[in-house]
Amino acid sequence: MKSEDELKEIAEFVGEYATCLLGSGVHTSRVMRNTARIGEALGVTTRISTSQKSVVLTISDSKRNVHTKVLTIPALPISFEYNSELSALSWEACDSHLSIDQLKERYYDILSRPKMRYYWILLLVGLANASFCRLFGGDWGAMGIVFVATVVGFFVRLILQKNHVNHFFIVTTSAFVSSMIASVSLLFDVTADIAIATSVLYLIPGVPIINGVIDIVEGHTLSGLSRLIQAVLLVICLAIGLSISLLLFKNSLL
Amino acid sequence: MILELVNDGIFAAIAAVGFGSISYPPKRAFKYIALLAAIGHALRFYLMHYLSMDIATASFFGSLLIGVAALWFGKVSHCPLTVLYIPALLPMIPGIYAYKSVFALVMLLNSLENQELAQQYVHEFMLNCTVTVSVVFMLAVGATSMIFLFPKKAYSMTRKNRIFVARKNEDGKITGFTE
Repeated sequence: MKSEDELKEIAEFVGEYATCLLGSGVHTSRVMRNTARIGEALGVTTRISTSQKSVVLTISDSKRNVHTKVLTIPALPISFEYNSELSALSWEACDSHLSIDQLKERYYDILSRPKMRYYWILLLVGLANASFCRLFGGDWGAMGIVFVATVVGFFVRLILQKNHVNHFFIVTTSAFVSSMIASVSLLFDVTADIAIATSVLYLIPGVPIINGVIDIVEGHTLSGLSRLIQAVLLVICLAIGLSISLLLFKNSLL
Repeated sequence: MILELVNDGIFAAIAAVGFGSISYPPKRAFKYIALLAAIGHALRFYLMHYLSMDIATASFFGSLLIGVAALWFGKVSHCPLTVLYIPALLPMIPGIYAYKSVFALVMLLNSLENQELAQQYVHEFMLNCTVTVSVVFMLAVGATSMIFLFPKKAYSMTRKNRIFVARKNEDGKITGFTE
């Protein structure tokens, strides 16, 4: 038996936990299991229903006291760290019976951990795309050009993200910038088509595609489809950005 | 041959770590992501170049291997399966086919007056698009199938201290443990 205030406090915490997970790219069934586990540890039953933009959450105790909330899912960057740490938190709550205050403390502790520095990510993404170019059979010159194209394109993406520009526009612009820079390879004697092809691949939305497949197979068809549709739209935007460069340079590529 | 495979694996590992870093994986996951990507991509390379398998089937086996290995690595590192295998799958995305489809589409729209050329680009577009979509689908299904085959294992990766309760028979003898 919980008082009205206790139930409300639990609902607020569980709601924030669930929307944080969904916003940072965790597939639906994991969010459902994690929230159910946390609810169980706090002595309440939790039921959630999710869609692309919002969550309906109902928690109830053994005495039929019910509290329901409708929450909006924030658009957070995808974070595997939240995925694994917050999942671990739900097991910890279940195994060592944490109280709501302890849970909150650990939750905010996880959220406030420092993130990887931007320049590290820039460097790693550049190297990654250059090695990707290598895997497709590009030569060292093409790899160098792809490295520069990726770093600049990703930098543009970061700046636009900071200014909260529309996501589709960000992808189109970065794809255009990267492929334009990669088109420099046409001036040299390198594998130009491979360089242009790989220069935009860091924009592929891999996480939504795989989450979408998982969701659909597990029966959360609507969430899965909306994830896949979102991913396809991003791929189309990427293709548009790339096509602009191709239109400009198609004669030298043929 | 071995040198080629190792070379392929190393570049796949760098690619996976770099693409993975966009999605902020926990620091302890990096070495497992690199290893997974290397073995998966090297297997695909081997199947395609030495057993002349097609790219979609080879990708399926590569991602299946990544899924199996991720089950084990997940237990060691306490990371959810998806955290480990999504970045590891990224180097297997068929970028060249995707590029060729976009290129064919652009060329098709530019050669609408020339019937013969347009036909050729429609054909090219369909071919490359089909390969891209089927490879991506196979990649997703291959690694994800581990979650469906071993749901209990896959969904308790992040659990750190398992509590075992002794099962006793009537005489008080311990007969086994349940989680």
